[in-house]
Amino acid sequence: MAIQTNTGTDIKEAFIRAFAPEAPNGQPIAPAVKESAAAALQALQFPHKKNEAWKYTPVQPLVSKAYIPAEATEPEDISPFLIPELEADVLVYINGKFSSAHSQIQHNKQLCIESLRQLSSQGKAVVEAHFGKLLNKDDIFAALNTAYAKDGTLVYVPKGTVAAAPIHIIQLTLPGQAACSLQHRNLFVVEPLAEAKVVESFYSLSTVPSLRNAGTEIFVGENAGLEYVKLQLEQHTASQIDHTEVSQARHSRFSIFTITLNGDTVRNDLQIHLDGTETETHLMGIYLLSGKQHVDNYTQILHKQPHCYSNELYKGIVADQATAAFSGKIHVFQQAQKTNAFQSNRNILLSKSANAYTRPQLEIYADDVKCSHGATTGKLEEDAMFYLRSRGIPEKQARKMLIHAFAGEVVEQISLEAVRTYLESLIASRYE
Amino acid sequence: MLKIDQLHAAIEGKEILKGFSLEVKPGEVHAIMGPNGSGKSTLASVLAGKEDYEVTSGSVSFNGKDLLEMEPDQRAGEGLFLAFQYPVEIPGVSMVNFLRTAVNAVREYRGQEPLSAGAFLKLMKEKKHMVDLDSDLTKRSVNEGFSGGEKKRNEIFQMAMLDPKLVILDETDSGLDIDALRIVADAVNKLRNEERSFIVITHYQRLLDYIVPDHVHVLHQGKIVKSGGKELALELEEKGYDWLKEGALGV
Ligand SMILES: Nc1ncnc2c1ncn2[C@@H]1O[C@H](COP(=O)(O)OP(=O)(O)OP(=O)(O)O)[C@@H](O)[C@H]1O
Ligand SMILES: [Mg+2]
Repeated sequence: MAIQTNTGTDIKEAFIRAFAPEAPNGQPIAPAVKESAAAALQALQFPHKKNEAWKYTPVQPLVSKAYIPAEATEPEDISPFLIPELEADVLVYINGKFSSAHSQIQHNKQLCIESLRQLSSQGKAVVEAHFGKLLNKDDIFAALNTAYAKDGTLVYVPKGTVAAAPIHIIQLTLPGQAACSLQHRNLFVVEPLAEAKVVESFYSLSTVPSLRNAGTEIFVGENAGLEYVKLQLEQHTASQIDHTEVSQARHSRFSIFTITLNGDTVRNDLQIHLDGTETETHLMGIYLLSGKQHVDNYTQILHKQPHCYSNELYKGIVADQATAAFSGKIHVFQQAQKTNAFQSNRNILLSKSANAYTRPQLEIYADDVKCSHGATTGKLEEDAMFYLRSRGIPEKQARKMLIHAFAGEVVEQISLEAVRTYLESLIASRYE
Repeated sequence: MLKIDQLHAAIEGKEILKGFSLEVKPGEVHAIMGPNGSGKSTLASVLAGKEDYEVTSGSVSFNGKDLLEMEPDQRAGEGLFLAFQYPVEIPGVSMVNFLRTAVNAVREYRGQEPLSAGAFLKLMKEKKHMVDLDSDLTKRSVNEGFSGGEKKRNEIFQMAMLDPKLVILDETDSGLDIDALRIVADAVNKLRNEERSFIVITHYQRLLDYIVPDHVHVLHQGKIVKSGGKELALELEEKGYDWLKEGALGV
């Protein structure tokens, strides 16, 4: 099937239309915020080649495709997408639309876990109070998402509540007739002294290209904790532009794992605001790329308050002609004394035509801080490989052991054992 | 068992082994001594199958098979074991997982059943005792944070686990105190038998007091310049290598 391409000045208009078939008004979610985002969209442009933030990812090929909105197809059997042994509340979205038939929310009675299309009155109140407060308003994709995303997940954890079970969001892309556009929007609000764990996994069964424009806003309240694991497991036809923005109140703890094992072009924009003192943040990532995959992790952590700790570790294995890009901005504001911020990006290239770009950006305006960054790009340790093989371990198995060990440094920090096991098996099967 | 004939090998275009020949019969212990940079570790690496080295000419047969044709893991399966001069640290790979994988890989190669978990642990306990290896070390990642002596003992421990036919010890004694040296030597002596052969690379006659060799060879500039019995090692200790270097040049 031929994929159509738009050209010229109508690119932006056609693109927006593909993601926004309906007017923003008349929608139940925060109509005023949505309308103002739609208005702002008029003036926003796609990032230019010279835009530093998009240095490594060409936008044009992504946005000039002619997309049509993905239809909500007949639900299929979703059991292949469940994570074995993970006792969780499960929300299933098919082509961006909530499927109540496949979802099961039974463990977390005290939480408010809802589709944005089917909000309770409590859910509505939470959405009104938080929606659109955080997500970057100057970014065309984020604005598009705010204005036109129609569905997604609200997780609201009331004050002092510890979630009884993790929440698993499954985003499934099913085959369409032509290149399809999808959007979803998440809002996670964890109130003071509350705790929760969210796993979001992406799959696609589509053989035609798709582009998902995702947006997630997260508020972690005072002394609250949230762990968020994002598993991007789509096929090589699926592209994604994700914006995740987080605000942490004082004494809060937040960990995010961005795991990209598949996909075509994937851009993950992650921005974390440390709005309170003494917070703890872990930004972890793994990407295993092959073919012509292109994955760009663009991360920013804003140390605005004193005594905050952040630790960032992204590790990737890049094969074939794939490209990985990592940008890590650490911005330490003048008053953010006693900041501890660490960052590291490690890449292994498995072929000569694989690429990895690392760009640390430290902007430090306070004088009493501890910040460090490091980056390495190399081949799979040849000495280690030879050592294992000299003990009788065949090449394939030796490589698998070393890759397992390399990714393990990140994987082992995921607190949910079922997710760890699942991920380990996915990584292992990747190098069969 | 092992027959090396006129072996020439190079790294990065630089020839290191220049016509090395040696025959090792079952049950024999050969010591190879020689000044720094003479090519001892190169020989060990070429025999174990390290890819960086290019064999430009010569042949090596191991139990009647062409050793140079085999992958490093096949060589281990055939019974070759190299105790490295500089054992590699492998963070994230646990000793237990590494050993179990290695033991079962060579067993599979040799047509044996894999060891059950229980049998494996029993074997490990027994061999650990043999080299007096601290129990905690097997709970760590391979060689990670091991002291120099612990790394060397770990090599001997692996040797005992893998039941090899030909063992190459590359300076396993360097950096060991006398107690550790005795433990290593005892382990080697326990494994010595009619079938199993050893090539012991060392700078020190001291090791050869414990592991008494059948033959001693001096390697200089990529080939053997002198061979003799165990008394040659004593002579080398007294006189150094210079008298041989000159002799070698005269050849
Ligand atoms: N990767 C390499 N690239 C270039 N030259 C190398 C490389 N590895 C070894 N060599 C050279 O090969 C020669 C032999 O080195 P080798 O390690 O075999 O010596 P050795 O006899 O084991 O010495 P030692 O007693 O110090 O262990 C040396 O001149 C060394 O510099
Ligand atoms: Mg050496």
